[in-house]
Amino acid sequence: MKNKFLQPTVMKIIYKGFCRWFLRIFVGVNFTDCDFLKKEKQFVIIANHNSHLDTLSLMSSLPGDLLWKVRPVAAQDYFGNTKLKASLSSYFINTLLIRRKKNDPQNADCDPIQLMADAIDEGYSLILFPEGTRGLPEQMAKMKSGIARLLIKRPGLKYVPVFMTGMGKSLPKGSVVPLPYNGIVHYGEPTLPQSDDPHEIMKEIEEKFSTLKSLYGIKEDDDDD
Amino acid sequence: MKEIIHWLFPDLSSEVIQVIFGILIVLTVASVIVGAIKIFKPTAKIDEVIARTKSWWIMCGIFFSAVFINNVVAYCFLALLSFFAFRELYSVLGFRDSDRSALFLAFLAIPIQYVLAYIGWYGCFIIFIPVIMFLILPIILVIKEDTHRITKSMAMLQWVVMLSVFGISHLAFLLSMPAPDPNQITVECNAGGRGLLLFLVVLTELNDVMQFCWGKTFGKHKILPKVSPNKTWEGFIGGVVSTTIIGYFMRFLTPLPDAYAILVSAVIAISGFCGDVVISAIKRDKGVKDMGDTIPGHGGIFDRVDSLSYTALVFFHLIYFLSYPHL
Repeated sequence: MKNKFLQPTVMKIIYKGFCRWFLRIFVGVNFTDCDFLKKEKQFVIIANHNSHLDTLSLMSSLPGDLLWKVRPVAAQDYFGNTKLKASLSSYFINTLLIRRKKNDPQNADCDPIQLMADAIDEGYSLILFPEGTRGLPEQMAKMKSGIARLLIKRPGLKYVPVFMTGMGKSLPKGSVVPLPYNGIVHYGEPTLPQSDDPHEIMKEIEEKFSTLKSLYGIKEDDDDD
Repeated sequence: MKEIIHWLFPDLSSEVIQVIFGILIVLTVASVIVGAIKIFKPTAKIDEVIARTKSWWIMCGIFFSAVFINNVVAYCFLALLSFFAFRELYSVLGFRDSDRSALFLAFLAIPIQYVLAYIGWYGCFIIFIPVIMFLILPIILVIKEDTHRITKSMAMLQWVVMLSVFGISHLAFLLSMPAPDPNQITVECNAGGRGLLLFLVVLTELNDVMQFCWGKTFGKHKILPKVSPNKTWEGFIGGVVSTTIIGYFMRFLTPLPDAYAILVSAVIAISGFCGDVVISAIKRDKGVKDMGDTIPGHGGIFDRVDSLSYTALVFFHLIYFLSYPHL
């Protein structure tokens, strides 16, 4: 695990000094406490994905000293399609790029799960959006089982479910300017998976999310006719 | 002591300083009582009251230092308050994706409305939202050509802007009020616009607290059980009576003669209650307990300024009618 030139300081200034205030005052994101992450050696944050604000909010919520040790897993075809984008996002967001397409001929030797496991072995923690892409505002799509396979591959690795509201309303897919909209980043507790069967783990994670939602009284899209 | 305060805050009138000191003393007494209950009766369920008292300290600190030290800071602070209230209200109400551009425009209305308040251009200030925005916002919605449930959006957007921007901006306009017409029935008062603002805010918030306390202590007969189960006739009447009495003793902040001060205080108390239950009804409809969780123990910003958005309009126009007919 090696950081790039000045990266920890730069990230701390960007996320803690600027982004967090922007999200708090302008957009209206409320961060719940996540200082307990400092006690964990390594973890995988699993979150719902509705907006580009998701990654920004998660990064801004993390304790400043951990920032450079946490790598959001991002799509190669989106964040790595040009050299400039790839190097910028790798410096400022510390992304771990994976390929989403299954039948990609180049994909044979870089299995996404293996890439994530390698990053874990290096000592990084990860941020993962198991839905695979940004869904509709305030709705959670079916999660993909990659996270379960990673947890099986690296036993002893804890996952932290995080449910965010308001992000998709503030900056939905296709919009450029964030609209102020009250949202919350709800942190769940770090948990060890109870089983080694991918289906069981996925079920467990889905349950964690629904308890998180009911704990904070979150209703998904309540559009009434 | 007095010299030091006047040296520190040269443009604060002694009336305003007296009231601010009075409030800080009341808060101190309240904190001591709450702390004593916590120590001597640890079983009492007063954790929410403790959180509320703490938040009152913070809110008073922010409000007094933002509004009464520098005038420009005061206008900016009130504009920010409008912004937070606006954001909170429409976040709870929900909106369609095609409403986004209209919402951005409505945000732009906040700085414009407060600049109008700052320069004290009454004619434009008073029509900007109820007339100009009222006509423009629906057009922006129509341009998107998404007519599904557009009526709801049109109505909701205008209502939210009226309550959170138009209502609260009247607090700012109070600061721009000139001296009252000497030909009218007024009494000598040199507290100025700040005095009016302080009078309004203190009475409104005390009215909330009074209604809460009277209701908790003597509440029996529910007033609007389906909207707000905690509101009782005892709380309402007790609140109105005590607010009127407090208003009478604080009349030196305003140019109002005694009888008018009593009338205005009673009207503030009643309209404060109305604002409170209007927001309660919305919370009930949307199935939320609080409008947000910005202020510990109180909920969101709008849980605190709900009554203010009503009383500001009522008080402003009452005092405008009574003491400023020449404008």
